[in-house]
Amino acid sequence: MKTVLEARQVSKIFGGLVAVNKVDLVVPEGSIASIIGPNGAGKTTLFNCISGFYTPELGDVLFNGRKIQGMLTDKVAAMGIARTYQNIRLFKSMTAVENVMVGFEPHLKHGWITAMIKTPGYVKEQKHIVNEASRLLHYVGLAGLGDNLALNLPYGAQRRLEIARALANQPKLLLLDEPTAGMNPQETDVMKDFIRQIRDDLGITIILIEHDMRVVMNISDQISVLDYGQKIAEGNPKEIQANPRVIEAYLGPGAAALSEKYRREKTHDA
Amino acid sequence: MEALRKKFSLTLPQNSIRIIRIIAALLLLALIIVRAMDVAAKSQFGADTWLRLSVSGLIIGGMYALIAIGYTLVYGILFMINFAHGEVMMIGTFGGYFVFEAFNAIQVSGADGNQLSFLNAYPVIAILLAFLAGMTIAALSGLFLEKFAYRPLRGAPRLVPLISAIGASIFLQNAGQLLFGPQRRQYINPVVLDRGIGWNLEVAGSTVVLTYTGIFSLILSAILMVGLYLLVQRTKLGRAMRAVAQDKKTAALMGINVDQIISRTFVISGALAGAAGVMWGIHNGLFNYYVGFLPGIKAFTAAVLGGIGNIPGAMLGGMFLGIVESVGPAVLGIDFQLKDVLAFTILILVLIFRPSGILGEALTEEKV
Amino acid sequence: MNKQSIQKSAASGMVFGIIVIFFALIGFTVVISGLIQKALGQSLGVGQMPSTSSFLIFLGLLGIWNGWRASRQDKHETLNTKKVLGRSTIAGLVAGVLVMVYALIVGVLDNRGINLRTYLSQLSSESVRFFLFNQTIVVGILIHVFYSTLMAVVGGFLALASERSRERVKSTRESIQKWSQDHWLGKLQGNPYVSYVLMGVVLLLLVLLPRTWGAYWNYVMGTVGIYVLLGLGLNIIVGFSGQLVLGYVAFFAIGAYTFALTTSPEPHNLVWNFWIALGVAVLAAALSGILIGLPIMRLRGDYLAIVTLGFGEIIRILLRSDILKDFTMGPRGVRNIAGPTLFGRSFTTDVDFMYLIILAVLLSIFLARRWQESSIGRAWLAISQDETVAQATGVNTQKYKLLALSLGAAFAGLGGALFASRNQFTGPEDHALMVSINVLVLVIVGGMGSIPGVILGAFTLKGLPEILREVENYRLLVFGALLVVMMIIRPEGLWPARRPKLEVPVGQDNEPVHLPATVGGEK
Repeated sequence: MKTVLEARQVSKIFGGLVAVNKVDLVVPEGSIASIIGPNGAGKTTLFNCISGFYTPELGDVLFNGRKIQGMLTDKVAAMGIARTYQNIRLFKSMTAVENVMVGFEPHLKHGWITAMIKTPGYVKEQKHIVNEASRLLHYVGLAGLGDNLALNLPYGAQRRLEIARALANQPKLLLLDEPTAGMNPQETDVMKDFIRQIRDDLGITIILIEHDMRVVMNISDQISVLDYGQKIAEGNPKEIQANPRVIEAYLGPGAAALSEKYRREKTHDA
Repeated sequence: MEALRKKFSLTLPQNSIRIIRIIAALLLLALIIVRAMDVAAKSQFGADTWLRLSVSGLIIGGMYALIAIGYTLVYGILFMINFAHGEVMMIGTFGGYFVFEAFNAIQVSGADGNQLSFLNAYPVIAILLAFLAGMTIAALSGLFLEKFAYRPLRGAPRLVPLISAIGASIFLQNAGQLLFGPQRRQYINPVVLDRGIGWNLEVAGSTVVLTYTGIFSLILSAILMVGLYLLVQRTKLGRAMRAVAQDKKTAALMGINVDQIISRTFVISGALAGAAGVMWGIHNGLFNYYVGFLPGIKAFTAAVLGGIGNIPGAMLGGMFLGIVESVGPAVLGIDFQLKDVLAFTILILVLIFRPSGILGEALTEEKV
Repeated sequence: MNKQSIQKSAASGMVFGIIVIFFALIGFTVVISGLIQKALGQSLGVGQMPSTSSFLIFLGLLGIWNGWRASRQDKHETLNTKKVLGRSTIAGLVAGVLVMVYALIVGVLDNRGINLRTYLSQLSSESVRFFLFNQTIVVGILIHVFYSTLMAVVGGFLALASERSRERVKSTRESIQKWSQDHWLGKLQGNPYVSYVLMGVVLLLLVLLPRTWGAYWNYVMGTVGIYVLLGLGLNIIVGFSGQLVLGYVAFFAIGAYTFALTTSPEPHNLVWNFWIALGVAVLAAALSGILIGLPIMRLRGDYLAIVTLGFGEIIRILLRSDILKDFTMGPRGVRNIAGPTLFGRSFTTDVDFMYLIILAVLLSIFLARRWQESSIGRAWLAISQDETVAQATGVNTQKYKLLALSLGAAFAGLGGALFASRNQFTGPEDHALMVSINVLVLVIVGGMGSIPGVILGAFTLKGLPEILREVENYRLLVFGALLVVMMIIRPEGLWPARRPKLEVPVGQDNEPVHLPATVGGEK
C-alpha cells in the first residue's frame, strides 16, 4: 500500500527539553492511525511538526514522498494536510458556513480584482463554494445551523464544524487532535463512527490523537505510543494492549507484571 | 550536536530568511560605520563636543530607562503596551512643578535674616517633597489607569486593551492641556540645582560643563534602578510579581492575589515614571502637557531594544537609546532635528531584525 | 442598610463629585451650560458667562444620574422607598461635600486675589464666581451641597419609579413593535422596491444638497466626506484584516504630497493633469503600503501598532525638516495645488468639490462592500480572528495582510489628494498623528469592520464637533474617553458588522460533488 505520510527521525527541541525525540512514523494511505501516550508525551508537538506549525530541528517529514518540513502552514494545507485542534479554534464571529468557506481558500482561483468587478467566473466560483460548504455542513450533521455564528454553536457542533472546515481543504490527510475530548459516552460513540465514515466515504487518511482507549482500540488500524517524546511501541490494537512497555508508561513501573497477573487470574477463574 | 547544527543550517528555508536578515543587518552596520568614518575624517567636532554629547545622552538615557522599566514590568505581566505610560510621566512632571511653585511662593527668613523663598532656604526638603509628590501622583494615576481602563478588559482579545490604552493616553494628554493650558512652563529650580552651573572640565582646550542637574538625575536614576532591581529580585512582592508574570493561574492557585499584584506593578511603574518626569523638569526646564509623548515612545523603544519583559534589558536599552539619540546625529553627520527620526528608525530596525531585543525577551511563550 | 450598600453609594457619590470638579477644572461646566442655554433658545454673547439657571440644569442632570446609579446597585433586588432614600442621600451628600470642598478652596484663593489661571488655565475669576452661582462663597457652597443631595434623591425616586413601571413599559414597547411590524414595517421589509426608493431619495439628496446649502456646509460635509474615505480605508486594515495601524496618516501624507508635487508649479514645476496626478497619488500610496508592510508583516499586533506610529512620525518629521526642503518645500508646505479639470474646464467651486468627494465616497463604499462580501473579506476576517489557524486553514496570510494594507493605503492616498486639492495647499502640520487618531477613533466607535458604522462614526465624530464649535477644544478629550468606554461596554461599536446569511438548502443535486450525499453521523 502507498505511504501517505512518513516521519523520519523527527525531533523537536524547546530550550533544553526534547519534546519529540527521533520519532519514526509511517502511515499508509486510507488507514486510521492513532497516536497515544500520557499527557505531555509530545503528541501535539508531533502534530505541529507535521502540519507546519513547528519546524523539527532534526529529521524529515515526507508527505506523498515530498519533504514538507519548514514549509509555511498555508502551503502545507494547500498540499493536502488539514487538521483540527485540541482546544477548538474556530473563527468565532463568523458563521458556520463562512468558517467552512475559508477552508476552500487554497483552491480558489479568483482574486481581489475579479471580486471587485464580479466577473461571471468569480460569481460562479463563489456560488460553487457556498453550495459545497452547505453540503459539507450537511455531511457533518449541521444542516440548518449554517448561518449561526460559530461561537453560538453547542460544543459538539463546534467539533464537527472544525472537521467540516478541515474537509473543505480537500485534504488527503486529516489530523484530528482529541476529537472526542469533553464528550459523553454516547457522543463519543457517534464521533467514533463518524471518523470511520469519513475515511470510508472520502478515502482520507486519518491520524488521530486520542485519550479514549475504547475509541482508539475500536477504529485504529495502527497505533503508535509516545512517552517522553519517544516512540515506545507501534502496532495494531491487539499488540499494543499486550505491550508491557505501554502499560508501564501509562500506569507506572511494575504495572505490567500486575496486569499480567490479573489477566492470568481472570483466565484461571474462567 | 554538530550534525544537528549542520542539518539545521542547510535544509530549512526559514533559515535562508534569517541569513538574508543577518546579511542585511551587517550591510546596514557597514554602511553606518563607513558613514561615521567619513564624518569623523572631516572632524567637525572636538573631544569636548563628544564628551558633552555622551554625557547628555547618558542623563536622558537614565530617564528613558526609568520609564522603560514601567513598560517592561507591565508588558511582562499583562502582555499589553501601556500606551498611556508617557502621560503618567507627564503627570509626575506637573506634580513636581507645583511643589516647587508652592515653595517658591512661601517666604521664610533665612539664616542671615534675609527674606528667602522656602525653596531656597530648605532646598533638600523641597526637592525631596517634589519627588515624593511627583512619584505619588504618577503612581496614583497608574493605579487608577489600571483600575478603570485596563482591569475591566482582562481576558479580552489583545487589541482591545491596547485600544483602551491609546484612548487613555489621548484622554490624559488632552486633560493635561485643558487643565494646565497649552503654553510651555519653566521649572523653578532651587538655586543649588540651577541649570547651567556645574563642574567645569577642561577638555581639548575648551570647557565642558557637567551640570549639577544632570549629575543629580543620573545618580538618582541609578539609585532607583538598583532599588527596583532589589525589589523585584529580593522581596516577597518581587517574587509574587515574577510568579504572576510567569503564570497567572498558577500564581493565583498558590494564594497570590493577582489583581493586587497587578495594581502594585502599575503603582511601581507609575512611581518610576513620575520620578523620571520630575527629573525631566529639573534638568530640561521647559515642559508642557505634551512632555510625556516622545519620551514615552522612546522608552518603549528602549524596552523593546533590551527585550521586553526583561528589566536589566530595559535599563540598558534606555541608556543605549539616550546615547545613540544624542551622539548619533553627530556620528552620522545628520541634522540634530532628526534625532527623533533616529530613535524611531532604531525601533523599526530592532523590531524587524531582532524583535526579542538585545538581552532577549523574558516572556512566557504562548502555546500554538 | 448594610455596610456594602453604603459603601457603594458613597463610591458613586465620589465618582460624581470628582467628575463635577474635573469638569469645572477643564472649563467644561461653562461650555455645557452655554450649550444648554442656547438649546433653550436664549442668546449668549461671545465671552459672556452663561446664566446660573443653565448651570443648575446641567448640575441637576448629573445629580439625578448620580442618585439613579447609586440606587440601582443590583439588578436582581427590588427597590423600596427606604433603600432609595438612604442610598441617594448618601451619594448626593458625598458628591456635594466633595464639590463643596473644591469650591471653598477655589473661592477663597480667588477672593485673595491669586490669579489661578497661571496654574489652571480655565479658572478665571469669572468662572470661579460662576461655579459659586455668583453668590458669596458660603451661600454658593451651601447651594452645591443642598442641590446635589436634592437632585440625587430625585434621581433615586426616578429609578424607583422606572423600576415599578418597567413591566408596563416593556409590554407597551412590545405591543408597539408588534403593531408596527404587522401593519407597515413587516411589509416594507419584505418589499425590494423600498430599498430602491430609499436609495433614490439618498441620491437625490446628494445631488441637490451641495447646490442648496451653501459654502459653509459644503466645507463641513466635504471634510466629513474625506474622513469617511479615510475611515473606509483604515477599516479595511483595522476592521477587516485586524491589523492595528497607528500611522495611517503616513499614507494620507504620501497621497497629498504626491498630488501636490505633481500639480503645483513649485518646487518642481510639474503641472500634470488633475486626474493623472490623482491616479498617481493613489498608486503611490498603495505602493508605499506594500513597501512599509513587507518588512513588518510578521510582527505581532501590538508591535505593528507602534512601528506604524513610528513610520507616521518619521514621515512628518522628515517633511518638516530642512533636509527635504528642496524637494517638498519643508515646513512651508506646497501651495497652488491644482483643482479638478474636465475637458478643459476647471471645476473648483465648493459645489464641484462636494460632488467630487461624494463620488469618491460612493466609489469607496462600493469597493469596500465588494471586497468585504467576497472571499477576500472572509479571509481577512479569518485572519483578524485567529491568524495562526487561518494560515493553517490554507489562507496565505502574508498576501492578504499586505493586500489589506495597500488597499487601505490607496483610500488614504485618494483622501489625501482630494484634501490637498481642495485646500490648494498641503504642509507637514496637515499630517500630524492626530489625523491617524481621529480616523482610528471613528472606525472603532462606529464599529470595526462595519461600513455603515464607519460612515456613522465619521458624521458623529467629525461632523458634530465641526458644527458645535464650542466643544472643539474638548473633542480629543472626549475621543480618548470614548475609546476606553467603548472598549469596556461595547467593543463591537455603535453599528456593528453583521454576518450575511449564506447557507443554501442541500437535498437536490444541482451540481456534481466529490462528496457522497450521505448524511454523516446523527442529526
